[in-house]
Order: sequence, then C-alpha cells, then structure tokens
Amino acid sequence: MEEQLVPQAEKEPISIKWVLNKILPFVSIAAFILLWLYASSVNSRLVPTPAMAWSRLLELFSTPVGNENLFGHIWASLKRVFTALAAATVLGITIGVLIGWNKAFRATVGTLFEILRPIPPLAWLPVIIMGFGIGEFPKVLIVFIGAFMPIVINSYTGIRLVEPLHIDVAKSFNANNRQILFEVAIPSSLPAIFAGIRNATSGAWMTVLAAEMIAAKVGLGFLIQRGMDYFDIPLILVGMLTIGIVGAMLAVLTGWIERLIIPWNQKLNQD
Amino acid sequence: MKSQVDKKKTTESKKGNKAIGKTSSGDLKYALLPVITILLFLFVWQLLVMGGVLPDRIIAKPTDVFVTMFRKMTDTSPDGATLFENIFVSLQVSLLGLLIAIAIGVPLGLLMGWYPSIDRLVRPLFELIRPIPPIAWIPLTILWIGIGVRARAMIIFFAAFVPCVINSYTGIKSTSVVHINVAKTFGATNFKTFLKVGIPSAMPMAFAGMRIALGNSWSTLIAAELLAANAGLGYMIMMGRQFVRPDIIILGMITIGLLGYILTRIFARIEDIVVRWRTL
Repeated sequence: MEEQLVPQAEKEPISIKWVLNKILPFVSIAAFILLWLYASSVNSRLVPTPAMAWSRLLELFSTPVGNENLFGHIWASLKRVFTALAAATVLGITIGVLIGWNKAFRATVGTLFEILRPIPPLAWLPVIIMGFGIGEFPKVLIVFIGAFMPIVINSYTGIRLVEPLHIDVAKSFNANNRQILFEVAIPSSLPAIFAGIRNATSGAWMTVLAAEMIAAKVGLGFLIQRGMDYFDIPLILVGMLTIGIVGAMLAVLTGWIERLIIPWNQKLNQD
Repeated sequence: MKSQVDKKKTTESKKGNKAIGKTSSGDLKYALLPVITILLFLFVWQLLVMGGVLPDRIIAKPTDVFVTMFRKMTDTSPDGATLFENIFVSLQVSLLGLLIAIAIGVPLGLLMGWYPSIDRLVRPLFELIRPIPPIAWIPLTILWIGIGVRARAMIIFFAAFVPCVINSYTGIKSTSVVHINVAKTFGATNFKTFLKVGIPSAMPMAFAGMRIALGNSWSTLIAAELLAANAGLGYMIMMGRQFVRPDIIILGMITIGLLGYILTRIFARIEDIVVRWRTL
C-alpha cells in the first residue's frame, strides 16, 4: 500500500504499472479520436472530420471573417479580458478582504455585494447595452463584472477560513489587528484568493465570448456565432478549439504568476 | 481586535448568546446595518431615476419594478409567458444540468485526485473539455440538438461539471498527510482511507466547487436563454430589451438574482449539515 503515496516513477522506474501509467493518457485520446472519426463518417455535415476543420483553419487566414484573421480575433478578445481582469483583481481582492475582515464593512458593502452577486454578469448585458451601446467599454464592463465576483468571494472565504490557531498565536505575541491581517490572514488566504483569480480568468474568458456572441463585430465569440449563422460547423470547431487553447494558455499563465507569488503552495501544483 | 475571530463567535453565539448577554446590542447593530443599507440603496436609486440623473428609458424606478412584478404574474407581454412560467422553465433547465454535473463531476474529481491511474486516463479528455467555456458550446449545441430544454441543460452541464471536478480533485489532493498516515497506521486499506479520510477532508472544497457550479449554471443559463430559447427568465430579459421595457429587464434581473440567492441558501444549509465539522 505504501507505494501509492510515493510517485510511481521515482520508486520503480520500469515496471508494468509504470508502462501502463505512461500509456493511459494516450488510450483515452485515441478513443476520443476514433469516436470523432466514426461520428463524422456517419454524418460529415454535422460532425466534420478533423481534416475539414484544419482546412477551414487555413482558409481563415486567406479569407478573413469580419476583416480580421484568426489572430486578430484572438487579440480582440484577449484585450477585453486583460483590461477587465486587471481592474477586477485589484478591486476584488481589496473588497473581498475588507468584507472578510471588517464586521461593519461586511454588514454594509457585503450586503450590497450579496444582493448584486446572485445576478449573473450576463444578465447585466441588456441594461449595459441599452446604457452604453455595443462599443468596447460595455463589453469590458460585462467581463469585469464576471471576473470581480469570484475574486471577492474567494478573498472573503479565504480570510474567514484562516486557521484560528495562527491568529491566536499572533495575538499571543501581541500583534495588533493590522499586523494579524497583513502578516497572518492575507498570506494564509492567498491560495484561496488565487483560486478565485483562476476562476475569474476562466469566468472572464467565458463572459467575453457571450458578450461577443450577442453583440460584436470582432472576437472569437463573434467567430463561432458567425459559424452558427452560416451553418459552418468547421468554423465553429476551429473557433472552439482556439477558445480552448487560448483559455488553457490563460490558465497556465495564471499558474505561473501564482507560483511566482505564493511558492509555498506547491502541494496543489504538483503533477 | 474584534473581528478576526467573529466567525467562531457567530457560530458560538447561536448557542451561547443568552449566557453572554452583553454582545446582543452589538449583534442587533450588525443585524440592522444590512437592512439600512438596502433601504438606502433603494432610496438613492429611486431618487436618481426620479431626478433624471439616470434616464428612465434604461433604468426603471424601484416602484415601477414593484408594480410590474405583480402585473407580470398574470400578464404575458412582452415575451408570451407569465413570471412563474418563466421561473419554472429556468429552474427546470438549470437544476437538471446542475444535478447531472454534480452526480458525475464530484465522484470523478475525487477518484482522479486519489487514484493516479484514473487521473492519467481521464485527464487528457478533461483537459480538452475544461478550457472550452460552456458558452462556446452554444452554437454547436443549437445546430446539433436545437434550442429545447435538453440543449440548454447540456450547456449548463458543461458549466457546472468543470468546477465540481476541479474542486473535488484539489480538495482530496490537499488531504492532510498526517491523517492519511494515521489511517494507514491503523491498518486501513487504500480504498478505506479514500472513503474515510480522503472524501471527508475533500468535502469542504467539493462543496465550494458545487457552489461555484451553482453560480456558473445560473449565469450560463442566462447566456443560453439570451441566445437560444423561447422561454425562461433570460428570454424575458432579452424581450424586455427588444421592446425597451427596462422594468421587465430589471424585474428579470431581480428574479434571477433572488432565485439564485434562494438556491444558494438552500445549498448553504445542505453544506452546513454535511460539512459541519469544518466550521466548528
């Protein structure tokens, strides 16, 4: 039983189990590709083959959709996400920590936040479109709302889940409220805050797509919406794959930043 | 100095409030503050719209929304359904997607976190699906299945599935090694340790994941209904926009928010019961 807890590769470099572990990831990928090929052999109009998607991808560079090639669309979406995320991180952590730490703040701002929080960011879309039109700012605003919520929630939860023992130790050493907050509570809630930022990143990425699908002339959300309007499933697949890849890259990027800022939280990042 | 342990205090005060007595005036103050905040918020909002600072073509007065709420219970304009019909459709779709996602996602995440071989087998596919936001499935889902209840439930499933898996996985990965070692010392098998130590200590995180899933499924529901529906609260909001009815839009937003809140409260109650040991 013991070897279950130690990484297999370190203990016994070559064994059947080790080989099996190396092969397993490819088994599932292979099964997936076979399934896809089978489905497209049944109905290639609804499920295009990977080759059709690939040629559609190349076509996207020779004949741009909406005056932009693929990279133009990616950049348009990313720009909106980054702007919104930066604002949401700064404001979200501040407000989340305050709500978690200060009772009066929780009773006032926390209450308002609790009222607005259950309203999904996308539900703001009609109001924001009516108020600000369909330019660049309303989209960033929607994405901001989407990214702000998880950061606040996690900062707040992180602060409230601080080990009481650590706080007691700090108090025993005569730390004042401010020191406890900045030297005990915030550092120990950083993992939770970063989990919030990770959620916010994926949330922002999702919200930007929705905003673009409803009202935009450029961006990846617009691209897949166009694919739907023209019954161009290869284009949708290219769009979805791009969305997935860029989204994954965003997640990796947040992971790097996380490792940079809270290196002591490596336990969760292994493997 | 007063706030850092107040979480413990509030849980304790439920039981021992009478004995202390002194904190009750403070408790009363913090019980009143939220109410005052809300009233002030509504009052300022009403004043801003009445004073013309916010144009009433975009934002309706709270009083108008209130009136619309009662009218909408029987009135079917502008979207062809009463408020309760829309609520029913939205709830049905989101709960269906959410429950399926929890039923599949949480066990999957737990197994992936505990058994490396399951992790290796499932992870590539999961990593393939994970970065694709649920909303990106909407065009494909519409072309494949249409815009019925099943299509929207599928989109919501994708929204709720991922956080369930990730959080259960993270939760069980962060099981205290000491606890695992204690179980092993007492001769527990790996599977028994998984059941008795791994799963319980993963539960707070798993529940946080389900809470995120609940929020995600609600917000995705709106996206799905804005883009692909002929009924539901999101559809009602969309129609409100098309017919320039800010009262309908805001009523829709409030209803969505309120329902989301009620669902979260119900969920929190369940969470309190299941992971009680964590909060005490």
